[in-house]
Amino acid sequence: MTPQLRSELLKHRSTFPNLGLLLAMLALILMAVLLHGLTLPADRLESASNQVEVFRFGPLLGALFAGLVGALSITGEIRHGTIRPTFLITPRRGRVLAGKIVASGLVGIVFGLVAVCVAVGVGSAALAARGIPITLDGPDYALMPAGGIAAAGLWAPIGVGLGALLRNQVATLVALFVWLFFVENLLLDFVPGAGRFAPGAAAAAITGLDRDALLAPAVGALLLALYAAAIAAAGWIATVRRDVP
Amino acid sequence: MVSASSLTKRYGELVAVEELTFSLRAGTVTGFLGPNGAGKTTTLRLLLGLAEPTAGEALVFGRRYRDLDDPARRVGAVLESNDFHPGRSGRDHLRALALAAEISRGRVEEVLELVELEPVAARRVKTYSLGMRQRLGLAGALLGNPELLILDEPANGLDPAGVHWLRGFLRRLAEEGRTVLVSSHVLAEVAQTVDQVVIIDRGHLLTTGPLADLTERGRTLEDVYLELTAREAS
Repeated sequence: MTPQLRSELLKHRSTFPNLGLLLAMLALILMAVLLHGLTLPADRLESASNQVEVFRFGPLLGALFAGLVGALSITGEIRHGTIRPTFLITPRRGRVLAGKIVASGLVGIVFGLVAVCVAVGVGSAALAARGIPITLDGPDYALMPAGGIAAAGLWAPIGVGLGALLRNQVATLVALFVWLFFVENLLLDFVPGAGRFAPGAAAAAITGLDRDALLAPAVGALLLALYAAAIAAAGWIATVRRDVP
Repeated sequence: MVSASSLTKRYGELVAVEELTFSLRAGTVTGFLGPNGAGKTTTLRLLLGLAEPTAGEALVFGRRYRDLDDPARRVGAVLESNDFHPGRSGRDHLRALALAAEISRGRVEEVLELVELEPVAARRVKTYSLGMRQRLGLAGALLGNPELLILDEPANGLDPAGVHWLRGFLRRLAEEGRTVLVSSHVLAEVAQTVDQVVIIDRGHLLTTGPLADLTERGRTLEDVYLELTAREAS
């Protein structure tokens, strides 16, 4: 573990925003999973793909919030000015960025894990309470947490990279939301051939969602890893080259 | 120990610093003076590797700051008085910095004691007064026990007691043999503490040298400063 990684992990632990984000994520997952699981008619919850639709909010919101964690870890420092002491103590800025990418990835994985466990647990309980048998099989169940964790772990570096490029906190958070909830939905609806290759769709693909419309899980994982590497590298280069705000 | 040679920084059309050349010897306390907007902060940012010069170079210990082997143990710096996360405690702020430079927890407690912040170290920074924030910044700069300190307007916004404390603190650092570069636009604070000055205006060097030489023949630092900046303005 590098000194910069230790420092970044302490930064994650020592402020409230991460706990606030975690609670917000849990509230959204509970709302989405319970509304779907408890109010949809039983005949729309019977097939395995129906049930995946209920559980999918776990991995999707886990990936989004991991992206927010990554984005805040850099834009929060710029907003509050702590970026200056950070780069004074470690003037080789690439090391700081590497620490942020790994630390945010680890925190993102925790978010992904919590998100998937809560969504699958609460969703299964809601279906069981209505007497609807679970038709997902073992591999489906295994893929969802594994995929959710991988998606979250890769979306955190995307957040760091985007934050390092845009630097403005509000702009970065808005960009993440607009991209995932608006742009990608439009792409999937109107140009699905291209939309399935977008980073949010790739994250959904890893979790085994909707295999007709999305890529295969392994292909999705590889593609998302490429996105994460490219965006993190762009943020890394921008941070090393540009003057510190 | 600190040197700028033909240092120039332009932001588009705006010239922040132009052809600035000066150097500091070890063991001196230097006042870096000039009106607001003279280019003091830009010069310090160039020295500390936060900004890249357009031309010329800014060196500490003969190297670029980012090329130093162990910068935190050679140079301590404070650029802004409020570079803290409001929700983080003073102690955690220092610990995060200490971890990055592999500085011990014990040293964090030492610097907290040094700036008299121990009683409030567990509190979030948002509850701190401006004076406490200034001292927390100083504590961060002292973590690595550096021989060179670079402080940008450390007295800004301090009340008289705070200024008094700061003056004693700087004097103590100087007595310990450290080299200090302290920028200010308030001459009264500086005149009693420094033994050398660098005066700039509009990005240009106006004068540099021992305070005693500038103020010989009964002139005050204020006389010299006003005369030089008025000449530059005309």
